[in-house]
Amino acid sequence: MLPPQDCRECSAVFEPVLLRNVDVPDSHMLSAYEAGGGYRALAHTLRKHTPDEIIELVKKSNLRGRGGAGFPTGMKWSFVPKQAGKPKYLCCNADEGEPGTFKDRIIMERDPHQLIEGMAISGYAIGAQTAYVYIRGEYVLAIRRLEQAIAEAHAKGYLGTHILGSDFNFIVHIHCGAGAYICGEETAMLDSLEGKRAQPRLKPPFPAVEGLYASPTVINNVETLICVPHIVIRGADWFRGIGPEKSPGPKLYCLSGQVRKPGLYELPMGIPLRELVDGHAGGPLPGRKIKAIIPGGVSAPVIPESGFDVGMDFDSLAAAGSMLGSAGVIVIDDTTCMVKVATRIVEFFHHESCGKCTPCREGLNWVVKVLRRVEAGQGEPGDVAQLQALCKGIFGNTFCALGDGAAMGLRAALEHFEHEFAAHIEEQRCSFH
Amino acid sequence: MVRITIDEHELEVEAGSTVLQAAQTLGIEIPTFCYLKRLPALASCRMCLVEIAGQRRLQPSCATVVTDGMVVHTNTPLIEETRSSMLDMLLANHPLDCPICDKGGECELQDMVMAYGPRKSGFHDVKRVFHSRDIRLSPVIIMNVNRCIQCQRCVRMCEEVVGAVALGTVEKGMDTAVTGFEGSLATCDQCGNCVEVCPVGALMSFPYRYKARPWDLAETDTICPHCGTGCQLTVGARKGEFMRVRSKGEHGVNRETLCVRGRFGLDFVESRDRIRRPMIRRDSTLVPVSWDEAGDYLRRRLSAVENKLAGGLASPRLPNEVLYQFQKLMRTVLRTNSIDCSSRWSTPFDTMGPQVAHFYTRAPLEQVVGNDRVLVIGGNVTEENPVTEYLLRDSVRQRQAGLLMLSARPSRLDADARVVVRIRPGAEAAALAAVVAELVAIAGQAAPGETPAHIVSDGGPVATISGDGPQHLAAALVEGRNATLLVSADILRSPEARATLQQLNSLLQLLRALGKDPAVQFLFDRANQLGAWDMGVLPAALPGWRAVGDDAARALFEQGWSAEVPAEPGADFDTMLDLCEQRRMGALYIVGSDPLTTYPDRRFVQRALGSANLLIVQDAYLTDTAGLADVVLPAAGFGEESGTFTNNEGRVQKVSRFREPPFEARGNLAIFDFVAALRGKVLRPSMSGEILDEITRLVPAYQGITQEDIGADGAFTKATPASLEMSSFVPMPASSIGDQLMLITGNCLFHNGYLSERSEILNTVADDPYVEMSSSDAARLGLTDGKPVAVRSTQGELTAKLRINRRFPEGLVFVPENYRALRLNSLMQRGEYPCPVEVQPAHEIIAMATTTESGARPLELGG
Amino acid sequence: MGMREEIETAAERYPDRRSAIMPALLIAQREYGHLPRPVLEEVAEVLGVERIWVYELATFYTLFHTEPVGMFHLQLCDNVSCILCGSEVLLSHMEAVLGIRNGDTTSDRLFTLSTVECLGACEMAPVMQVGDDYHGNLDIARIDALLDRLRAAAGQGADVHVASAGLSGV
Ligand SMILES: Cc1cc2nc3c(=O)[nH]c(=O)nc-3n(C[C@H](O)[C@H](O)[C@H](O)COP(=O)(O)O)c2cc1C
Ligand code: SF4
Ligand code: FES
Repeated sequence: MLPPQDCRECSAVFEPVLLRNVDVPDSHMLSAYEAGGGYRALAHTLRKHTPDEIIELVKKSNLRGRGGAGFPTGMKWSFVPKQAGKPKYLCCNADEGEPGTFKDRIIMERDPHQLIEGMAISGYAIGAQTAYVYIRGEYVLAIRRLEQAIAEAHAKGYLGTHILGSDFNFIVHIHCGAGAYICGEETAMLDSLEGKRAQPRLKPPFPAVEGLYASPTVINNVETLICVPHIVIRGADWFRGIGPEKSPGPKLYCLSGQVRKPGLYELPMGIPLRELVDGHAGGPLPGRKIKAIIPGGVSAPVIPESGFDVGMDFDSLAAAGSMLGSAGVIVIDDTTCMVKVATRIVEFFHHESCGKCTPCREGLNWVVKVLRRVEAGQGEPGDVAQLQALCKGIFGNTFCALGDGAAMGLRAALEHFEHEFAAHIEEQRCSFH
Repeated sequence: MVRITIDEHELEVEAGSTVLQAAQTLGIEIPTFCYLKRLPALASCRMCLVEIAGQRRLQPSCATVVTDGMVVHTNTPLIEETRSSMLDMLLANHPLDCPICDKGGECELQDMVMAYGPRKSGFHDVKRVFHSRDIRLSPVIIMNVNRCIQCQRCVRMCEEVVGAVALGTVEKGMDTAVTGFEGSLATCDQCGNCVEVCPVGALMSFPYRYKARPWDLAETDTICPHCGTGCQLTVGARKGEFMRVRSKGEHGVNRETLCVRGRFGLDFVESRDRIRRPMIRRDSTLVPVSWDEAGDYLRRRLSAVENKLAGGLASPRLPNEVLYQFQKLMRTVLRTNSIDCSSRWSTPFDTMGPQVAHFYTRAPLEQVVGNDRVLVIGGNVTEENPVTEYLLRDSVRQRQAGLLMLSARPSRLDADARVVVRIRPGAEAAALAAVVAELVAIAGQAAPGETPAHIVSDGGPVATISGDGPQHLAAALVEGRNATLLVSADILRSPEARATLQQLNSLLQLLRALGKDPAVQFLFDRANQLGAWDMGVLPAALPGWRAVGDDAARALFEQGWSAEVPAEPGADFDTMLDLCEQRRMGALYIVGSDPLTTYPDRRFVQRALGSANLLIVQDAYLTDTAGLADVVLPAAGFGEESGTFTNNEGRVQKVSRFREPPFEARGNLAIFDFVAALRGKVLRPSMSGEILDEITRLVPAYQGITQEDIGADGAFTKATPASLEMSSFVPMPASSIGDQLMLITGNCLFHNGYLSERSEILNTVADDPYVEMSSSDAARLGLTDGKPVAVRSTQGELTAKLRINRRFPEGLVFVPENYRALRLNSLMQRGEYPCPVEVQPAHEIIAMATTTESGARPLELGG
Repeated sequence: MGMREEIETAAERYPDRRSAIMPALLIAQREYGHLPRPVLEEVAEVLGVERIWVYELATFYTLFHTEPVGMFHLQLCDNVSCILCGSEVLLSHMEAVLGIRNGDTTSDRLFTLSTVECLGACEMAPVMQVGDDYHGNLDIARIDALLDRLRAAAGQGADVHVASAGLSGV
């Protein structure tokens, strides 16, 4: 469900790019995509640019990865060795498992060609001939639509050999996930693609040097890849001109939770959180008050009311002690118990922990046991201190960022809502129900 | 070299080292769980986290490679707190059932908690429990998942080193559990390396279960008696009773690994199948007597045959000292050179001698397989020398070396090979000739016009093997910088052994000429085969491979032994049997060997042995051959006397005694003294240690080795280098291999006969005897996997169940030689190998009697 | 296309057949409904990979079922966005009307009820996936209507794909 783009403040200055196609009839079909100017960027790329020029262009645009970490995309591409003696791979991270996030799904369901075009240009830039889209298995419609789109693109010569008469050959395969959040972590995704249990790999070697099948591999998020055609057509300056210079571009925000108009919004990077939630998403439900917002999927530490003016970009959120992550904005109002939210979040990470490293596997299990007890009104006096100690033991010591995400989230909840935890323990019950 | 600072100490370490390795060189201890020296780092346990200046987070030292100028701290308060926290988390769900845990007292988690752990845990919720009763994964492996700390050492060991890929990890997160397919390890190698590397009591040895506490065990380091790899192991015994085997972390060829035979197959020492008292034949039955009585009897019988020929056979499973003393006894007291150390094949001294004396690479296997081309010829390393195979796989994978296989039997190692040449059984010589021919051709092309004259052979080897396999092999060998040949001793079984060895010689010389600096080792299936040869238990060679006919060599020993040595080469075992059959053999003295089950022609060997005037069998166990003897002398078995073995690498290692010889058994050396005394002679020296001293004086390859040198890693014998003398190539006579089914034999994983068959544990894990063949042959003959089949030769027939092996080539039938009850050798005919057979469906497996045909089985008489 | 061919086709997408274990398991599960031991063995055999590798994946990923599930697998999201929008009430309601607990299957083998982690459709929370389809913006009335439709579809022997207005919330 898309929100009406009726906000006065921004619609005047901001015209959606990434979502421009999603509402047209048959938006997932090639004809509709072409009618909106689709595949022009690919044609232009193949005719006018060398791969290095595309990398330079993307570098200049300051595009940062939309998968969560915000790593500069052009820089990542430039790590791929030019001469490798091995095939190179592009992997599109469409595993979208971060709770609160649904942007990639909507793109794939409603505008799959935009992704294919983005991948083709990116593949050209890094010298890959084969790409895998790792889509989570639950996204059946997205998988079907993307399959169709790939077939159409093949038939029309946008994929395959000698694309648009050039020397560029490129094929895209779909790999369906099967329900494991950790597959979103890029190296775990590679193991999963290789037919192994999805567990993160040691770095170095970095995937750009030794990734899939020990070959140079670039992994990018769906949203990252769909930015590329627009950068090619409109230029790096245009992109860099939107939002903060160091963290620029159009951005997809996923709004959900206790908010009046949940949905997917395309707005500039850096838009203040309060404006996003109150202005665009219609603010709290009638008669309620928003008390906390998770700005970037459940891995991102919760922000209390006092922090709502933060800008929604990588750097501002990091400075505020949270993160942009996948821009899954979850709105929590005053009818909700934060102990329960925190419990549910840690339970999620506990459930999704791959089990490889000690602090994540064992530490989260302990945390969950304590939290469940506290939530159920069986907390003990030392529990909060124990939770804090566990957060300390977990944070920074896990193999990958999953464990960190859990610890950070819990730490923020303990910090900002300690009174709710204390009340649970003291009153031996939850006052919210 | 890279300069780094660890805890204020500056040091230089090799580039590419990890922080952990660097710290270890300084003696700084960093705790680890998931790290295992021989495996790539996993960095999952997070015990080894250290501070590195400039890094925001602690870094796993096991996986962090040093960089120049790096400053590392390993013992800050933060690190101590983190270690304690990791242990706290691990303990939260750990059962803490140490009092009933087999690992108690030698548990890494226990030790780590003592050293770095929290003194008190804040955990007071309910512990996770996977299951309340331990899971029996296989006959020898039992699992307690509750105790697992997910270091994954076992799974990685199983896949990356052993190559069995039997263990895996199921579920995820907190539910993660190590197990086999559908919770079973019933079909794995049962090597137990997973048990060995488990730091806690999660994977356990079932036979050792609840048997002892580590502090009650008297541990003895010794060498595995099961094959020529010569793995080091530690035997744990309690009050003289055998309890278990563990491998030793760092030492020996095997570095922590063992195969099923080594780890679980040493319980044969407790076998009840022992000869308890001396026995003599009286009225055609064997009756137990005292040593004195036996002595009187034997003295009489020996005198009676004094003027006839004598001969001896000693097992290559005996220690060097025993073998050396045996040949001395035979040569100086019974005055014969007719001695041998194998009943399964003859050793062609003329071709073998120079090869073993001069070309044999007496060096660590690790180094030998470090060459970038390794060609394995014949046999099936996986089943014959499992640990050699593990090391080979490990090395090949880590160095990405080119592994080349040439054999009739497929093996698991094929999967890692760059070239696999599958040949018809018995076609080794032809195949090698073809490789040699290809190499000559390539060498000629590479340097047209200036091909060194000695590479071009007169007449040229004739390739008689079809297909382009040899071409690929030759090309791969030429591409490599250096090459290693690992040769299964199995090639000696064929009547074409001499031809095979000649081609091998050509190949070696050619590789030398091509600058490939070839290394060569044999893959023996007997623990001390190389030692037996080195000790001169050969009819034509004195100790150290010197020809009996060589006057100077003989003089040296005659002086050393103060006795005369006959100048004529003696008969090999095969010829000895002929002599027996012709009733020309007086005393035939067999020590620790059971030719009735191993000589490839049962009917003949039985007839021949029965025709010897005096058959003396000295053994620990009641063998079939002992049943034919006139005199049976009870000897110490493995573990009951000390000495040395020389393994396939040429490494001399100490075998130690960990129990007393039972009943009236005596040490082999003492029995030799006893026999010598009956002839009025004294053997000097007569103690094991002194004999070794003499060996190191008189046998060139052993010269300079002292008792002290044979430390934890043994000591290496030395080859006596010879000048490279290019002999001309021997053309390969076209061999006549038809398209009949051909039976070959060899060891199987769980058994290599004699000792293994007396291991109760191996008998439980091993399958029943089986007949292996290709799926196409089976289909053609209408045979079903798992069903009984009859294998028939011109000599006889046996029945066993069929095992279809998809990787088997057509025409090949394999039956393991190590099931006594199968009497495989009754199908064989001397001088013919492989053996043409027919295979047909059979209705049932006819149970074979395990007793010998002639003579009462003296089991019930012994005690 | 038979299952073996389908697996072969999937395997062609990768340079290493081990990579095809996941797609093969998805194919096999569609064929057999769940993944018991013989199916895992068959997959290993078709791909020529180690059996334990197949077993590892079949248990690691939550979409694979080694035990049978009901004809309709009701997978209700109980992650943060959905519980903020009331999915817990829906869970209790379904447990009550189906007479089973979370994780169980009805005795007529029609329904299996499970809570699942975020389905990636939080804009229409609370969400439930049934078979291939997403059903969003659920409330008790909509759940009841959906269960009725599913029962009816089962009665008619229809395929598990039930036309649903909520298909991915479009
Ligand atoms: C536990 C975990 C889960 C992740 N899940 C996703 C995901 O679902 N989708 C995604 O694009 N990136 C995810 N990431 C980030 C990826 O590891 C990686 O940074 C990203 O795909 C890179 O693409 P980008 O540079 O285009 O953002 C995840 C990271 C972690 C640590
Ligand atoms: S933090 Fe550790 S256990 Fe958790 S998902 Fe990452 S690697 Fe796996
Ligand atoms: S030893 Fe380094 S993380 Fe386990």
